[in-house]
Amino acid sequence: MTARSLSTRRDGGIAEAASVAVIACVFVVPWVSENPMIYSLANQMLIAITAAFSVYIMLRMNLMTFAVPTFMAIGGYTVAILGLRHGVTDVLLLGVASFVVPALFALPLGALVLRLTGVYFVLVTFVLTEITQLVLFETPGWTGGSNGLVGMPAVTFFGIELGDNRAVLLVTTGLALAGATITAMVTRGLRQHFAAIEENELLAQSLGLVVWHYKAFGFAVAAGVSGLAGFALVNMLLTAHPTSFSPLSSVNYIAYAIIGGKGSMLGPVVGGALLIWAGEIFALRGEYSQFLFGFLIVVVVLAARDGVVGTIYRLGVRLVSPGPSSSSLKASPAALRVPTATEPQP
Amino acid sequence: MQGFVATGLIGISLGAQYALLALGFTLIFGILGVVNFAHGGFYVLGGYLAYSAVTFLGMPYALAVVCAALGTTGLGYLFERFALDRLIDDHLATLMLTLGLYMMMSSGILVIFGPQSPAFAFPLTGVIRGYGFFVPVENLVVLGICIVGILSIYGLMYHTDFGRALRALADDRAVATAQGLRPTVLFPAAFALATGLAGLTGALVTPILSLAPHIGDPVLATSFLIVILGGLGSVGGATVAAFLVGMVEAFSAVYLGGSKGALALFVLVLVMLVVKPSGLFGHRVRGA
Repeated sequence: MTARSLSTRRDGGIAEAASVAVIACVFVVPWVSENPMIYSLANQMLIAITAAFSVYIMLRMNLMTFAVPTFMAIGGYTVAILGLRHGVTDVLLLGVASFVVPALFALPLGALVLRLTGVYFVLVTFVLTEITQLVLFETPGWTGGSNGLVGMPAVTFFGIELGDNRAVLLVTTGLALAGATITAMVTRGLRQHFAAIEENELLAQSLGLVVWHYKAFGFAVAAGVSGLAGFALVNMLLTAHPTSFSPLSSVNYIAYAIIGGKGSMLGPVVGGALLIWAGEIFALRGEYSQFLFGFLIVVVVLAARDGVVGTIYRLGVRLVSPGPSSSSLKASPAALRVPTATEPQP
Repeated sequence: MQGFVATGLIGISLGAQYALLALGFTLIFGILGVVNFAHGGFYVLGGYLAYSAVTFLGMPYALAVVCAALGTTGLGYLFERFALDRLIDDHLATLMLTLGLYMMMSSGILVIFGPQSPAFAFPLTGVIRGYGFFVPVENLVVLGICIVGILSIYGLMYHTDFGRALRALADDRAVATAQGLRPTVLFPAAFALATGLAGLTGALVTPILSLAPHIGDPVLATSFLIVILGGLGSVGGATVAAFLVGMVEAFSAVYLGGSKGALALFVLVLVMLVVKPSGLFGHRVRGA
């Protein structure tokens, strides 16, 4: 981890608060516009951002996850099955279920896979998404197989049906807001613990931090946040289909987080919004948007490791106070000390 | 019985193709410590280069295969030399770089050639029938070339100075560098060799199986399965695992149907990763 990203993270909870506030602002959209294109764009952005939050949580522990589609599928299919087969349509109940079921699924899984780090963790999560895809196709009794689950009833809020475009956007915004709030609370509340794990897991452990507690908790929360994104996606499409959760869609969510910047919670927000906007506004659909994402990943990794947000932050710091910022950027080893491991644990 | 033997031969043929493909993947990880997400992309590129050489330049297929392998070798060399080499010790950064390259390659191919599968057929056709078995000629030819390719890689890695230098760098880069080996020269060469193998496999196999812009996705997944099963970075492990995967795939396709065989393989590999991350034949892996 660089001194820059550390300094970005030490700026209070501004990034977290700003992320939550930006998402909350989308509640206004249905009242100021009736343009279906804007609704569609906002829906896609919010789903992308929520899924990218999941990647962000794991990146805070230096774990790159490809498992987002897996947990999105669990959340999405949970909602679809509850609605279709059990008649549950209340948005609050479904929202809780779409968070809790993937999180519960992640706990025993995390106990197994979180022993792995680095490349092995990447590979195990990639394999997991492949297995999920095959399971979705091979279990038609549960998941509808290659047909998926269709004909879901509209969700309701205290008996009011939320079926039109405006209501769907409100539901997506609510789910994204819940995801953002949970992400902010967890990454802010455990920032020092996560930073210790990211910086040097072995050292943190040797200094008394029960690392696997935090990793398992972070993994479960990330899974839950993915589940919320899965709910939003299924609710928008009105179908739960395996192709909505393809293994390589995880690449997009990683791209949003990396290109936006993994050093702050604003990164996934900016990355998700920017890339979805670029893909839609410039009519860069399908293959073109993939090329753009790929190109941006290469550029960001080679030239701007902190992503869009981190780079803007760094340039801003330089412009405002060139003297002190340069010294803070070249932080001494003491400044990079990981304080968490020595602190009392909750 | 006839079907059983024929399925076994197809499995061996598949295994040889997978071995050639996975050798490149595992070489890159073993020597450079890089998980090459673009490996499937180089496979597809090899197929399309061979197709272009045959269709647009009128080359004979054999020459087109060589050109495809050289083309992917060159691209791999340039990518390693000018992009990957700058971040060679950062696993996640190199992973992201190769992922970005893969997205650019697959979408670039899609833009240039379109989403439809082009008509790209193997020049030799027919079936050889024997007592109790039958096997397509093209599978036999590809099997032969793959076995020659695999043996060449073994020869290169274990019986030449170049191979010894690469293995020395993989074992201990600091000591190897102090002994005069130059990573800035050898790493791009190793990456180029591996991407050349992927391109060669693509050029050989896509006329038999299929050629389409996104066939790199399952190829990448298969490469992952093989190298995890065999042990990341283990050349011998990758070869054994490739034949294992080829056999399981062939028999499960015939006797189980659907994707049950693939599902079983993926679960096996997941268990392997959790229980023994270094795989069947793997050793401690640097930085992982």
